[in-house]
Amino acid sequence: MSARTEGFLLTSSPHQFSESSTNRIMYVVILTLLPAVIMSVLYFGAYVLLLYAVGIGAAMATEVVTKLIRKKNWRTISDGSAVITGLLLVMSLPPRISPLLVGLGSVVAIFIGKELFGGLGANVFNPALVGRAFLAAAYPVPMTTWLAPNALFGFLGRVPDATTSATPLSSAKFEHTFESVGKLFLGQTGGSIGETAALFIILGGLVLILLRIVRWRTVVSYLGTVFLLGGLFWVINPSLYPSPVFQLFAGGLMLGAFYMATDMVTSPYTHLGSVIFGMGAGVLVVIIRLFGGFPEGVMYSILLMNAITPLLNRSINNKVFGRRPNRRGEGRS
Amino acid sequence: MPSATFRKGIHPFYFKRLTSELPVETLPLPETLEIPLQQHLGAPAKMLKSRGDQVTPGELIAEAVGMISANIHSPVYGEIKRVVQRPLPGGRMCDYVQIAVDRERTEAHRWERKEIELETLDRNAILAKIRDAGIVGMGGATFPTNVKLNPPPGIELDTLVVNGAECEPYLTCDHRLMVENPRGIFDGIRILFHALAFKSVVFGIEQNKPAAIAAVREAMSEYPELPLSIVPLATKYPQGGEKMLIYAVTGRTVPAGSLPLDVGVVVANVGTLNAISEAFYYGKPLVERFLTVSGEAIREPKNLRVLIGTQVDAVVDYCGGYSEDAGKILFGGPMMGVSVPTTDYSVMKGTSGLLFLSVKEIPEESPCIHCGRCAEVCPMNLMPLKLAAFAKAKRFEEAKALNVNDCFECGSCAWSCPAKIRLVSWIRYAKNYIRVKKI
Repeated sequence: MSARTEGFLLTSSPHQFSESSTNRIMYVVILTLLPAVIMSVLYFGAYVLLLYAVGIGAAMATEVVTKLIRKKNWRTISDGSAVITGLLLVMSLPPRISPLLVGLGSVVAIFIGKELFGGLGANVFNPALVGRAFLAAAYPVPMTTWLAPNALFGFLGRVPDATTSATPLSSAKFEHTFESVGKLFLGQTGGSIGETAALFIILGGLVLILLRIVRWRTVVSYLGTVFLLGGLFWVINPSLYPSPVFQLFAGGLMLGAFYMATDMVTSPYTHLGSVIFGMGAGVLVVIIRLFGGFPEGVMYSILLMNAITPLLNRSINNKVFGRRPNRRGEGRS
Repeated sequence: MPSATFRKGIHPFYFKRLTSELPVETLPLPETLEIPLQQHLGAPAKMLKSRGDQVTPGELIAEAVGMISANIHSPVYGEIKRVVQRPLPGGRMCDYVQIAVDRERTEAHRWERKEIELETLDRNAILAKIRDAGIVGMGGATFPTNVKLNPPPGIELDTLVVNGAECEPYLTCDHRLMVENPRGIFDGIRILFHALAFKSVVFGIEQNKPAAIAAVREAMSEYPELPLSIVPLATKYPQGGEKMLIYAVTGRTVPAGSLPLDVGVVVANVGTLNAISEAFYYGKPLVERFLTVSGEAIREPKNLRVLIGTQVDAVVDYCGGYSEDAGKILFGGPMMGVSVPTTDYSVMKGTSGLLFLSVKEIPEESPCIHCGRCAEVCPMNLMPLKLAAFAKAKRFEEAKALNVNDCFECGSCAWSCPAKIRLVSWIRYAKNYIRVKKI
């Protein structure tokens, strides 16, 4: 029996905590992405494994080096956020892009998209999308060279095997031919590495919503707005504009809605803010897809709404219990 | 049973099974008591005795100073040894009266029940007796009860809310009181009913205490003259917080910056009500209380009846001592309790629990990832992530404008934060700065 009388830990309340942690959240997100990752390997070949490795590795290395330069703790690498950035970036790229460009994109994503802002929690823009936006602007041709998914357990190499093909979105935009939704759903179309298998993305995303890691309001308002606005145009002219269901499952919308628009750091933390974010991104996606210069609009829709997020966070406040709305605080002093 | 509740809040792990089935044991008389003169909100009591004075059980040893203060009584036969200055839990310095206990005489002492004519006592007489007995809120707030029951002119108190929620993890002393002595609580309610003629008395008990609900329901039938009702409450933290409880059982919202009396309500903890009944029916002032000893670092968790002024060491010894990995001692519950660095502290009127936890270090803070969970759980609907960010950036006017003073430091936000940010500490920093610098 210990008769200790002193030396006990002295801290302020509370003294009990939930089991959640930043690391845990990141790892769960990665876990829910794995089915889509595995499907992407099956559809596009083992070559994409190299891309994943380069993308994730370059992201982690960039974070470590930047932290060392800033004289901060480089072990923050273990929180998994760089892994997620690398993973999502690669999933949004064409399946035969060169590893060099992937690495470059990752470096930009982490260095400019995250670390320059001040590290985790301080960035305004989704880092993976910053990397992708850089690649799209600097290397437009490799970024628009697609492949039909035929290679099952294929080769490891940089030479495209089958003929390059158009994505369903570019076919819809430039040729007004619409791919079947079934094929879109299961990922049997051309497109980016990870975004084609909508089924697996949705399943993973639903798990995240149930675990309250992803804000469902963002997802519902984003997808709902795309559906409604896309549907509106389709009703006006079904031969010119794709159906709203097509809009939902084509391109990177599912990946963007569940995994990128909902990035906690760069999206609003209030309920109203989440809805505004989703609606704004939804409008932008449809407008860009139907009337903009690009066939795909998810990336820009999210990046543009990221820019509005600080304003939404700053200006929207919960109504405090016991206060009438818009009453400034004073309280008892 | 459908249950009433408030919005938001958290569901921490409760650990109540460690002690919920254990009947209350009386702690054997210690050799000394060290009674602090400040166990209540307001001014410390003024010492009336001197070194060498002999005291008897229930004797007044320090008197209330001013309106917001409380009397302090000796629980035992004994001799005043000296008065020392030591810190209270939380750090404020206080006078402690050291009494050498005459165990033989005290052990033979009994508090005798006597019948009283409640009808002959008017409201002022009842409140005066409550004040004389040194009764303060025993749920932990320790506000002088007679002051709470004496609203300013123009305020009508129509509802008494009985707080049987006991929402903090680990604590089960209120639960045991409801199971073992519900009539003590109802006698206290009846006394208050004579003083203030409430239109209704609502007894709130959390659903995780079915035995208490049953015992209270059964005893309730013996008090048909009282306008009683039991409201089962959802098991959620902080259900026992005054404003949350009032909203859950009456639907009324206490306005920010106001008190329950502003909506015609008074909330009383079950222990306080029992103490009131003991003061009237046994002539016994507030000199002892139930408390829960628990935590993974104490060998034998128990519910105890303890004299005010009993030192922590005496309690630890009776409960089998520490297991090897004792790291932290808490007065109260783990959400709002106060940690102490040594055992050189005493049980006080508001000490509902002594917890011995094995944790040796606190988790490191990592950056805020704006998950917003803190804002999703705050029962006051505040936005702790913003308040903490303002505090950290020393933007105190903005923190004040965002209602930082409405926070009652329940700890739900910091409990839920994945980045382990000490949100309550940052909020306290802002509140203190605002108060001291009169922002």
